[in-house]
Amino acid sequence: MKLLIVEDDREAAGYLKRALNEAGHAVDWAAAGRDGLLLAAGETYDVIILDRMLPEVDGLAILRTIRTSGVKTPVLLLTALGGIDDRVEGLEAGADDYLVKPFAFAELQARVNALARRPPTQDLRVELVVADLKLDLLKRTVSRAGRRIELQPREFQLLEYLLRHAGRVVTRTMLLESVWDFHFDPKTNIVETHMSRLRGKVDRGHGCELIHTVRGAGYVLREPD
Amino acid sequence: MFRSTSLRLATLYTAVFALSVVVLGIITLFTTRQALSRQVEARIGAESAALVQEYRSEGLQGVIDAVHERDGAVGSLDFGLQGPQGEPLAGRLGATRAPIGWSMESHRDRRGDDEAIRILTVGLPDGHKLLVGDDEERIEALDGVVMRGFGLAFVGVVVLGVLGGYALSGDVHRRLAAISGTAEAIIDGDLARRVPVRGSDDDLDRLALTFNRMLDRIAALMESLKQVSNDIAHDMRTPLTRLRQRLEAGLAAPTEQGLALEGALGDLDSILDTFAALLRIAQIEGGARRAAFQPCDLAALAQTVAEAFSPSAEDNHQSLSLVVERPASVDGDAELLTQMLVNLVENALRHAGPQARIVVTAGRVGRSPMLSVTDNGPGVPEAERERLFDRFYRLERSRSTPGSGLGLALVAAVAKLHGADVSLIPAGPGLEARVTFPEPA
Repeated sequence: MKLLIVEDDREAAGYLKRALNEAGHAVDWAAAGRDGLLLAAGETYDVIILDRMLPEVDGLAILRTIRTSGVKTPVLLLTALGGIDDRVEGLEAGADDYLVKPFAFAELQARVNALARRPPTQDLRVELVVADLKLDLLKRTVSRAGRRIELQPREFQLLEYLLRHAGRVVTRTMLLESVWDFHFDPKTNIVETHMSRLRGKVDRGHGCELIHTVRGAGYVLREPD
Repeated sequence: MFRSTSLRLATLYTAVFALSVVVLGIITLFTTRQALSRQVEARIGAESAALVQEYRSEGLQGVIDAVHERDGAVGSLDFGLQGPQGEPLAGRLGATRAPIGWSMESHRDRRGDDEAIRILTVGLPDGHKLLVGDDEERIEALDGVVMRGFGLAFVGVVVLGVLGGYALSGDVHRRLAAISGTAEAIIDGDLARRVPVRGSDDDLDRLALTFNRMLDRIAALMESLKQVSNDIAHDMRTPLTRLRQRLEAGLAAPTEQGLALEGALGDLDSILDTFAALLRIAQIEGGARRAAFQPCDLAALAQTVAEAFSPSAEDNHQSLSLVVERPASVDGDAELLTQMLVNLVENALRHAGPQARIVVTAGRVGRSPMLSVTDNGPGVPEAERERLFDRFYRLERSRSTPGSGLGLALVAAVAKLHGADVSLIPAGPGLEARVTFPEPA
């Protein structure tokens, strides 16, 4: 993927750039808001990683300008402000996702991957399929190898999210935010317990597992090799 | 001194009052003078008519006798009778030349002074002239009285106004100086200073009270800020020390570096969690979220939380169930209310022990919407119940379990933001944490 980082902290940006390069992405970096604006408007990126607090021009102002000028590139907003209003403000300004500093690199990577533009037809599908696992969005049913699987409503949502991001790592925080709408970090391992139940229903008794734990990052649902 | 508002006002009022005294004096002078003139003219007219009557009944000699008789009496009017050629026949006004009708003449009086005299001259049928007059002395004397009176009043008003203005502005000035002195003292760091209050309940007193209430509020905020900084200093140092030790140990033993780094990362995350929780509590206590309140269905909220946590409870060999007594909705922040309930549920999961039964209830107490989490664990000693809502406060027996000691502080902050009341009630055995919202309007 081709990524743009707009971040004034040289050290943090350098670290991010190196790590993203190692993960196989092409990364451009702009230290100042104005340069970031020019690059974002001129080049085609898959995802823009934008720091909210920049000298001279505010990150939100850049975001609004990008959106007004018709650039639809997904934007991940990085911020040191963890307030609830700050998140809402960021999303309203046109950010697609929001990450509070400090964060684990795995979290950033997962979110960047989740944001990368998907084929346009994907969200119109009525059925999500990976290998022999099928999820019918209209009938709200799930089956594996033709056998019906009964899921609790929350488990269904969890599986739907994994299927929509099939092949990509999703983190615990991403699941908490999108499945439970919890924008804080519970001390209890609710994601783990729900996931273990879901895996029990989806993978148990089948030769190959579809849902995998990615240590230190989260989970991934993918086609067997 | 003239920059004092009260003195300027006092001066203005004094000027206005002095001017009105002058105007009132002029009006009084004018009207009394007119009234007195009319009175004098009436008296002169009456005497003149009486003498004409005398002339008709007694003839010329009767008038002459009457003039002589009256002219001598003390306090009487002045009279005069002249022949057809103007020759004086009788009375002090006999030699005075005056036209027929009303006139003002100068006349030498008994003491030899010139005086103004008001005269009515009447022609008798045989050509004689009858003069009746009264000097203006009385009117002039009255003018003097009126002018003296009002002059004194004028001086009094000015003197009183100036003195009163000084006294009043001095008093107001002193009280305002006390307020600005207090502000100055606070700017210089003496936060305990307050404006003196007289208890007279006037506007300045009420201003002082409001000012003091504002200062109390600021002091409370400062106190809470100080508390937070102390808490951070005290309770963050411990994990930071642990983190440091771990890193040092990692440096000292290169073979175990991976393990040490992993542990350090865990320590760091928990420090960041604590930090985030503190910031969040501070943000909630700031009260800005109230602007975004929306109706929240407590039953739906409780269901989401109960569903999310019941698998974890089962894995702990505990049970978590939901009771919806009567559906209730409150105006609030759904995200914060969810977090509040999550914290209460997590507290119960963590402290109620294995095999505990935990019940999440959404309902009402009377008309008040209510959320509660009840467990049948060991409960909390009464003396410690209130302190549990303080930041970083933890029961002795919980010190070893994970947790920042901020969960209930956040619960208290969210409840307070919603005007709700949190209480910990012994549930015999166990504990009920109950949040009671204000009755819907």
